[in-house]
Amino acid sequence: MKVVQIKCPRCQQPINSKVKDLAFYCSHCRTMHVRDGGVNVIDFDIAEFNPGAQQDRVYMPFWRLFTNFNINQSKSAGGAIYKLGKFLGGGSNSGNVFIYIPAWETNVSEFKHWAIGLTEAQPMYSLRNDFNNIERTPTVVTREEATQMADFVIVTMEAEKPGTLQYLDYSLNVQDTRLVYMPYVRGQNGFAPGL
Amino acid sequence: MASLKCTKCGASVEFDTGDKFVKCSYCSSQIFIDRSGAGFYYALPFAMNENDVVGVFRRWAGGSTRAKDLDKLAQISSVKKQYFPVYLFKRDVNGAEQVFVEPAGSTTLPGLHSLKVPGGDLKVFDDKFDTAGAEMIKPDIEMAPYLSKLPGTAKEQALVYFPIWKIDYVFEQKAYVVVVSATSGEVFSGEFPGRSSGAYMAVAGIGFVAFLVEGLLAIGSPVVAGVLMAATIAAVFIAANYVARRM
Amino acid sequence: MSLSVGLNCPACGGAIKVNEGEHVLNCQYCGSTLWAEGDAGVLTVAYKNMQDRDGVLRATEQWWRKGLKARDLRKKGRLLECYPIYLPFWSTVTRVAGWICGYEERTYQDRDGHSHTERIPKEEMVLNDYNYTNIACDPGDLGIKRLRNIGGEASFADFESIPTFESTTSKDDSVNGSKEKALQDARRDAGVPHVTFEKVTIIPKSISQIYYPVWVVRYSYGERMYMATVDGVTGNVLSGRAPGDPLYQSLAVTGGTSLGGLIAAAGLIVGAGSDDGTIMFGGVIVGLVILGVTYMFFRHGSEIIEGDFEDKKMKNPLKDIGIELGGLRI
Repeated sequence: MKVVQIKCPRCQQPINSKVKDLAFYCSHCRTMHVRDGGVNVIDFDIAEFNPGAQQDRVYMPFWRLFTNFNINQSKSAGGAIYKLGKFLGGGSNSGNVFIYIPAWETNVSEFKHWAIGLTEAQPMYSLRNDFNNIERTPTVVTREEATQMADFVIVTMEAEKPGTLQYLDYSLNVQDTRLVYMPYVRGQNGFAPGL
Repeated sequence: MASLKCTKCGASVEFDTGDKFVKCSYCSSQIFIDRSGAGFYYALPFAMNENDVVGVFRRWAGGSTRAKDLDKLAQISSVKKQYFPVYLFKRDVNGAEQVFVEPAGSTTLPGLHSLKVPGGDLKVFDDKFDTAGAEMIKPDIEMAPYLSKLPGTAKEQALVYFPIWKIDYVFEQKAYVVVVSATSGEVFSGEFPGRSSGAYMAVAGIGFVAFLVEGLLAIGSPVVAGVLMAATIAAVFIAANYVARRM
Repeated sequence: MSLSVGLNCPACGGAIKVNEGEHVLNCQYCGSTLWAEGDAGVLTVAYKNMQDRDGVLRATEQWWRKGLKARDLRKKGRLLECYPIYLPFWSTVTRVAGWICGYEERTYQDRDGHSHTERIPKEEMVLNDYNYTNIACDPGDLGIKRLRNIGGEASFADFESIPTFESTTSKDDSVNGSKEKALQDARRDAGVPHVTFEKVTIIPKSISQIYYPVWVVRYSYGERMYMATVDGVTGNVLSGRAPGDPLYQSLAVTGGTSLGGLIAAAGLIVGAGSDDGTIMFGGVIVGLVILGVTYMFFRHGSEIIEGDFEDKKMKNPLKDIGIELGGLRI
């Protein structure tokens, strides 16, 4: 075992973080990296807060997977509206979709709530290039785990349409992964969107 | 307790078998113990004395598949206290830890081929270790050939001595042997004098058929069937009680 | 190669503290964020022993009175030894997320006596964190393989005074075992008899090592030595061996043969009156099952075994009958 100092792979500046976060952010050159079997720089987005949301701001990390998927065959008993098909537009059975996987520590119901919620209602956001000293919730989910969870999100959206899913033949390719920091406002009843 | 030298101040630091990190009591440096290149000697202390294991043997010998009254009739000819060696390897195979246990001593004793390290409080085996008068079985198989054959890279390798009681007994002029692990009391046996299930099965089978027939008979002549059933209940109970106690 | 590797902060040289199982560390002197490369071990907790010798002995005596153990055990049983140990367990959390779809078939009869089979389609989401514990050493004859209780006061205070059993099994084997078990449990929880589609993702979330206090009690009954183990946190008996009683064995087989035989007879009688063969076979099978269960107790009830012991599994009636028939042939 060896202990090394965490330095930004781009500018070699040491990274100082008080919290245990798997995504290391260099505030000097605004680079983010992870250490999943190597030192890897990752793409990330920071979404801009709505100017109305001033208090209790917090950034929540999501792995956003840009996926290409194709439903070859889907059979259901009862029900006729194909949510996924509708979602892709024009009843088409293939296309590209962003899948959002919460990257912080979640229990199973929170996980489903956040993953399905953001994937179904794709957020529109403008970017900013720093965190503006706003608290970041630590990332604990690896890229690999997020990629594995993409299947669950896709099948859930197909299964939760009316009717009982009986068979689904599909292919799913994750083409790009990116850590997206979404703005939220901490309230008494959990988090409210701060977009 | 084994010891190593502190990497910073050179003081002697003691560590126990399971420790991954130790703290130097002088300079409070934390030290990581790298076991990948060294071979360790460990031993498990005896947790059972001779009376305990003879009692465990009698309980085992009184078991349902052992010959009736084996616990009383078996004549114990010798009880020996021994340390038996096995090799324990921890390897990193493609990033995953795997544990391998390989024989270190050749033996024909039962149970010692099952190749496991019995659970116990592993102690570093050095000249301070108290073997409690047990006979040490010498490892007659080398460790080195295993190291070159095993997959992955080394994390740790050790020779583990585990404590056993070897009990020789005679039953109907035939000699048998059992090994009792002195950490948990697990009994290992090869061949042992067995007991037939025949009498048990006969009672259960005959009883079942008798009640089946009497049940069918009850449609035509319920009174006769009822009397027969009562008699069968008594007969089965008496027979079963006799078999359970005596056979 | 040196046995010891000093752990100093690469930035300031200060001594650092590593918590097992954590890759991201902070230097307590200069605040640098540090990364532990390679095997950083696993998070380890120990639970504080909450029981004392007297309580454990009393729990064992109460356990003697429960179940079908020898009636005179409370008189003849003599407590000889009683000591605590720490047993190591791997504790895993495995997240399962997916869907299992398919159908269930239900058969019913209409008024004309025709039977219809209805297919009820099912789609079941499986989304759960499964928690398992698995003993991390060979338990030998302690009869403990997993923990029923996970909890208690985490403390290493008793660690030096209580003998500690070392982990000798691989944590990665335990993680893989948990993945397999989680998939099985998820399928069972979904309860879809005929599966037409299944997509399940299994992710190991965490593994930690738990040292759990267990008391070992040895007692004699006549010349025989028996044992029991008592949970050092809750004080409940976890496992044990105890002498049985021939009276209970005889009563069991008397009850089993009479009840089993009469149920089989009733099945034959009722079944003969109707043209449905299932009643006839059903009655005979129920009767034979009752006979089989009581026979096993009759045959092997001379020792009562509670807990995860190896020899408990072997008591399979078919195997017993197989050995017996094999013996007759020779």
